[in-house]
Amino acid sequence: MISFAWRTIGHRRAGFAGAFVALLCAAALVTACGMLLETGLRGAVAPERYAGAPVVLAGDQYARHTKANGKTKAKLLAERRWIPERIAAEVRRAPGVTKVVTEVTFPFAGFTAHGWESAALTPFTLASGRPPRAAGEVVVDARHRTAKIPGYRVVGVTAQALPSQDTIFFSTDEARRLAGRDGLVTAIGVFPRVDVKVDGALAYTGDARGTVEFLDAENARVKLISLGGALGGTSLLVAILVVAGTFALSIQQRRRELAMLRAVAATPRQIRKLIGGEALTISVVAGTIGAGGGILLGLWLRERFVALGAVPENLALVVSPFPALAALLATLAAAWTAARVSARRVARIRPVEALSEAALAAAGLPRARTVAGVLVLAGAVALTILLANLSVEAASSPVSMLTALVWTVAVVLLGPAIARAVTALPLRVPGAGGYLAHRNLRAGTGRLAAVIGPLTLMTAMTSTILFSPATLGHAAQQELNAGITADHVLDPGASAEAVRQAPGVRAATEVLRTTARIELEKYGVQAVTPDGLDRTMDLGVTAGSLDGFGGTSAAVSRTAADRLGVGVGDRLALTLGDGTPATVTIAAVYARGLGFADLTLPHELVADHVDDPRATVLVSGGERAALERALPGVTVRDRAEAAEAGTSNAAVTYVAMGLIIGFCAIAVVNTLAMSTSARSRELALLRMVGTTRRQILGMLRTETAVAAALAVTLGTGISLLTLAAFGAGMTGSATPYPQPLGYLGVVAATVALALAATAVPARFALRARPAEALAARE
Amino acid sequence: MTEVVRLNAVSKVYGKGHGAVAALREVSVGIPAGTFTAIMGPSGSGKSTFLHCAAGLDLPTSGSVRLGGTELAGMNETQLTELRRKRVGFVFQAFNLVGSLTVTENITLPLTLAGVRPDPAWLAEIVRRVGLDGRAGHRPAQLSGGQQQRVAIARALVTRPEVVFGDEPTGALDTMTARDVLVLLREVVSGLGQTVVMVTHDPVAASYADTVLFLADGRIVDSMSAPAADKVAERMTRLGAWT
Repeated sequence: MISFAWRTIGHRRAGFAGAFVALLCAAALVTACGMLLETGLRGAVAPERYAGAPVVLAGDQYARHTKANGKTKAKLLAERRWIPERIAAEVRRAPGVTKVVTEVTFPFAGFTAHGWESAALTPFTLASGRPPRAAGEVVVDARHRTAKIPGYRVVGVTAQALPSQDTIFFSTDEARRLAGRDGLVTAIGVFPRVDVKVDGALAYTGDARGTVEFLDAENARVKLISLGGALGGTSLLVAILVVAGTFALSIQQRRRELAMLRAVAATPRQIRKLIGGEALTISVVAGTIGAGGGILLGLWLRERFVALGAVPENLALVVSPFPALAALLATLAAAWTAARVSARRVARIRPVEALSEAALAAAGLPRARTVAGVLVLAGAVALTILLANLSVEAASSPVSMLTALVWTVAVVLLGPAIARAVTALPLRVPGAGGYLAHRNLRAGTGRLAAVIGPLTLMTAMTSTILFSPATLGHAAQQELNAGITADHVLDPGASAEAVRQAPGVRAATEVLRTTARIELEKYGVQAVTPDGLDRTMDLGVTAGSLDGFGGTSAAVSRTAADRLGVGVGDRLALTLGDGTPATVTIAAVYARGLGFADLTLPHELVADHVDDPRATVLVSGGERAALERALPGVTVRDRAEAAEAGTSNAAVTYVAMGLIIGFCAIAVVNTLAMSTSARSRELALLRMVGTTRRQILGMLRTETAVAAALAVTLGTGISLLTLAAFGAGMTGSATPYPQPLGYLGVVAATVALALAATAVPARFALRARPAEALAARE
Repeated sequence: MTEVVRLNAVSKVYGKGHGAVAALREVSVGIPAGTFTAIMGPSGSGKSTFLHCAAGLDLPTSGSVRLGGTELAGMNETQLTELRRKRVGFVFQAFNLVGSLTVTENITLPLTLAGVRPDPAWLAEIVRRVGLDGRAGHRPAQLSGGQQQRVAIARALVTRPEVVFGDEPTGALDTMTARDVLVLLREVVSGLGQTVVMVTHDPVAASYADTVLFLADGRIVDSMSAPAADKVAERMTRLGAWT
């Protein structure tokens, strides 16, 4: 059967081209996602600053929580966990240890700053000058030999510079003072390599030292796992849908040949095997080429993510054969599934059809398909309800993609019924082309149904992908617009004291953004200085009050309060960004959690537990010019500009999901081109009886336009439902926000693509002389 | 004389309830071995349904069909296929061949599907008999309509079936080519002793047969031995007048 399948494929290249392209793209996408996933799982960053220390003792960067059932879960902390300096003394006494080096790390004017004590970790050596001794002295790395550090005197230059960080050294005491954490250090280097076990710190060796040096790489890794998984899963589902569609269409087009085979000698099983053989054969070829291309795609994706700042430069992509192999297997499985689904239809082809004169259209919607359609529809409704109850973006985003997909599958399954219902409407398009189109649509509802599948998929997926961040962003935007009552917003780095001294300033609020975990669940945190808070921001307090905010008080958003089941006066145990536990008392519940943050904590509680303590400052009163004069080098924005800048950066999602949109577009082109070129005989016949080229093209245009209009309506409906559910869960309001221009663009692109994918093959088909086209057998 | 095909009180009804249409009504007939039988009748007389039921492509609503002594009732689709593969050959009006296969591969297709090696001597014999020498490696698209029908006839013969069914095998051919194909079918009966049953609406085609069965309104209404084209045409005209 395989050799027979191979022959058929060779002969019917055009018919299989669609499935081939779809499988190729699927393999490429799955490979690329697999590479991201694998990098997330196994990626490592080589240590730079800790390269010279065989063992590095540092804090456990995970918050761990043991559930009642004894299972322990760990989540990555957002900020660095510092460790007590006394550990160093303990380790010094351990057998075999010859040297112990302590280190503090903190950001300083764009540099990563340390005390000279930790130079030996790399090791850094001096190329010129001397080590910093006094408080006002610094040593810079080799790349910055000419740099000026305001307020400090450069006394030495190191012989080295690290590839992905700019280093500056203060005297040990000055560094401790600037870092501002009494009795704590970021890491302790131990020489030589010995087994060290201490309480309160973990020992890292080899590449694991890189993970404590570059916490952002660790964050990116976790992000890559979820992104790669979601993207790969979505593209695989889309692939099965697209490939099943193209297979079904190609089988429909060779119904007659298959019926003849059935009549002559082939059992239904043999036909199924033939179709399966064809599917496996092309998927092996397409999968292999696609997986190769996918490696390039993965490299390109990583480059984009680095450019967008989502992945650090030094987190290299893990390149191994596994993603390509997995993609190949996934492609085979997708093709096989698609073939199995299509083969159900083939088994129903009656051999008698080969003998009848007319090519019979498939009889009514088979019951199994209707049942499946209704079941999937029920699944879509259930997912929509689930989505409306999800309030965490990490869960909500993939579920919204899945919801849109499942709705689309329901539409595809029930497509013939929908097509029949719509074509039964007494609508008329003027002209001969319109008349023919109307008749064709009514007679060929199967073809219409096959075409609306990918078009609906494209509209639904594109709108959902583009407008779910927009829906969220729009809601956050509106809360910020209403909630920021300050006149100016200063970027991080401004000294709050200096601001308060500036003329005309009535109040200045320092705002620090970080995260905290409550039973491992992550919540956004804004830490604010309470003085004059009522003049700079209005959180929309619904219960309790912010009067006397400070110490261990906290305010929570209504969404978070509902999720946690807490109210004013309740005590809340949380883990701060660096893993320090804290207990706070809820003073107020507020409405604008989306624009600001789910948790509002006092600045003093949080400031010592973030890596970068520089705060944004909200200023009430004062003149912009005066502020700029008083604070040289600090960006001053007015309220509107600040609110604008506050919206989340969705570029990463757009890049990743853009690939899926591209895939859907390929499916659209595929299906329409296949559907149109299969009609060359019919078109030739129409020309023989006197239809002009213009009329034929008009007819095809009208048919496609009707299909596109129907699909856009369905797709829009699907995405509106999905976005409404997404919005209801995330923002509490079920109003989706499709950016008007963006939406028009989606519709225009879908329709234009559909028309082009019809017109080009139609022109090809019309190029042959009608008599020749008619003479040529199927 | 043994009968290759035997139909006893065969009825075929399409649809259910008020919309039901009886295509065959209580038809009983036997086809003797080694004969060439033509089935004729006006449109809607049930001649295609007769062929489908007799050849095991379709099962009758009631009655019994025996093919070479095997009762078809109660067989499932796979069993029917295997039976057709071994005992029946088909020649259709058009769309007879698989475009991706060569002439030889098309001819041996039933054997390939059955997993049986073709007998080279027999294959060479039928290729010669249908006049396709030197074309074994061609693709169907490189052949004329008449040649394609010859390939189909060769394919119908390759399994040494008990009976070959033709459904308007000359319907898509011009007069001269049709004549060649009919001569070939006649020769297959006379020379190889093959049984052939052919549905046609063409009195000239029917005149090549030993016997013509006339169907009207789902019943066999007449038969004619050693038919001549003008007699058959006259009979058909009268049939047409009745309906």
